[in-house]
Amino acid sequence: MNTMKWLLRREFWEHKGGFVWAPLIAAAIMVVLVAGVVGYGVSTDKFGGDSVTIRVEGKEVHRTQMATLATGHSRAQMAEVAANNYIAAGAPIFIVLPVVAFFYCLAALYDDRRDRSILFWKSLPVSDTATVFSKLLTALVLAPAITIGIASAAAFLILLLAGIAASAQGVNLFAPVLSNINLYLSPVYLLAMIPVYVLWALPTAGWLLLVSSWARSKVFLWAVGVPLIVAVLLKWMDYMLALYGATIHADWIINNVVEVLLNGLIPGTWFIDGGTTLPINGGQGVNMLSLLGASWGSLARPDLWAGVAGGVAMIAAAIRLRRWRDEG
Amino acid sequence: MSAVISAKNLSKKYGKQAAIDGIDFEIPAGRIVGLIGPNGSGKTTTLKAALGLIPFEGELRVMGLDPRTQRDALMQDVCFIADVAILPRWLKVRDAIDFVAGIHPRFDRTRAERYIANTRLKPEMKVKQMSKGMIVQLHLALVMAIDAKLLVLDEPTLGLDILYRKQFYQNLLEDYFDENKTIIITTHQVEEVEHILTDLMFIRDGKIVLAASMDEVGERYVEVMVPADKVNAANALQPIDQRTVFGKSVMLFDGVSRAQLSALGETRNPSVADLFVATMKGTYA
Repeated sequence: MNTMKWLLRREFWEHKGGFVWAPLIAAAIMVVLVAGVVGYGVSTDKFGGDSVTIRVEGKEVHRTQMATLATGHSRAQMAEVAANNYIAAGAPIFIVLPVVAFFYCLAALYDDRRDRSILFWKSLPVSDTATVFSKLLTALVLAPAITIGIASAAAFLILLLAGIAASAQGVNLFAPVLSNINLYLSPVYLLAMIPVYVLWALPTAGWLLLVSSWARSKVFLWAVGVPLIVAVLLKWMDYMLALYGATIHADWIINNVVEVLLNGLIPGTWFIDGGTTLPINGGQGVNMLSLLGASWGSLARPDLWAGVAGGVAMIAAAIRLRRWRDEG
Repeated sequence: MSAVISAKNLSKKYGKQAAIDGIDFEIPAGRIVGLIGPNGSGKTTTLKAALGLIPFEGELRVMGLDPRTQRDALMQDVCFIADVAILPRWLKVRDAIDFVAGIHPRFDRTRAERYIANTRLKPEMKVKQMSKGMIVQLHLALVMAIDAKLLVLDEPTLGLDILYRKQFYQNLLEDYFDENKTIIITTHQVEEVEHILTDLMFIRDGKIVLAASMDEVGERYVEVMVPADKVNAANALQPIDQRTVFGKSVMLFDGVSRAQLSALGETRNPSVADLFVATMKGTYA
């Protein structure tokens, strides 16, 4: 257990840039942009006064204040939506995660073979299983947890800025939003999705680690090129076979195997690719709790477990290669 | 005392080419063994097999363990420097010490820090800022602080200047080696290690051609400066090597008694380098 702690720390030393600084910079840019817009709006009074204008064919027919529109019930509803969905403001930061994790997994078992420092790591009493496991844990658990932390903090800051903008229009939502329990539970719900993410990401992580511990060079080309070439070949075979009225179901294979190998690190793939539907209910936006429920519900899908089995097999192969590959 | 390493019929093939060709040897504890051979003779392959880095055929026991199946346990007691300058570039001196201290049960942090204090390394320094010599100093500091029973050094000083090389072996001998430890060294700079070795192993084309203690080597091999008039008499004793220095023949004999040879001229012990050259004659021919 102690060894694992140090192995994870080791990964953190080497990859702080990708896992901490990249999302932090993305978050900072977003918050600064929103703050700039709000600051400009408030200072030039763009948000204040008669902000809602209704025109018909260019002629002004009605002009009123936001504050008079947003009354009792609709305020409560706005607060509810804000507290439930503010975390979505952090979504752009989650785009950073799969990119960083993808290249991390590709490099994880390759970089130290390239610079031969693998011989130093292998001179220490650490099993290859523990080493590979530490890389997997970093990519699939630590990195998402850090991203969730940073994204939640950024989303919260943006919510506060939005609150300032709303109060400039005379709609003060601070009290109902800040007292809404979902505001504080949303990051926890996201963290509770990590186990689901791990399972869905396992085939991609396994594939990348396998290439990383196998390829002698050009890991990216191998990792992306092989699935793409296979996809093209399948399509071509299907096209040829179609002349004889036969098929090898190329589209099915591409959707279920090739895409799973390459896209698994994207958070929420289980919603993208059918099977699990995004629970959206009209007035309240997306309820985080039902999102969490639907995510865990995806564990009932057999395609998930087929992917997990494939991922585990590829990880086992990566460990074996790491153990026996002659590094000259 | 049981052997630290014992090999029986150890072989390793790369394709059809045998890198090690059925060798047998034993290395007892408390020795400093020089494993010496030309490029491509199988030195590194032998060491890699012993360290469990590659699969092999035959029987090989390192401290009673099979390096193929018991590598994780073996690495508690074995340490190695496989090559110079292979520490990762992003590693800081302080982090390196923390890491090894965290995972190695036999690591003595104060020893490593004491050694580092005698160098120009600073805790915040990264490997990429270091010269090759400094990287080896850091690596040696880490390795010497590990109380391992077997230390394997494969060309540990390659590419270093003479100051670093001398210091390296001096530290090894003075601060590290004791009767409970065994060190195996491969190097091409034979003359720099010969005075610290207790045993010698010559390897050629995947076969061991000489395995003896330095004492035995001193008894077996004699070099004689033979004046011109005694060359024929000397040749009759079948020298294994012969060269000419300042008009005199210098002949190397294997297993001829010293008394008999001193009649022919001035005798002395050959250097390991001369012995090596004589033994490996024709390797690249």
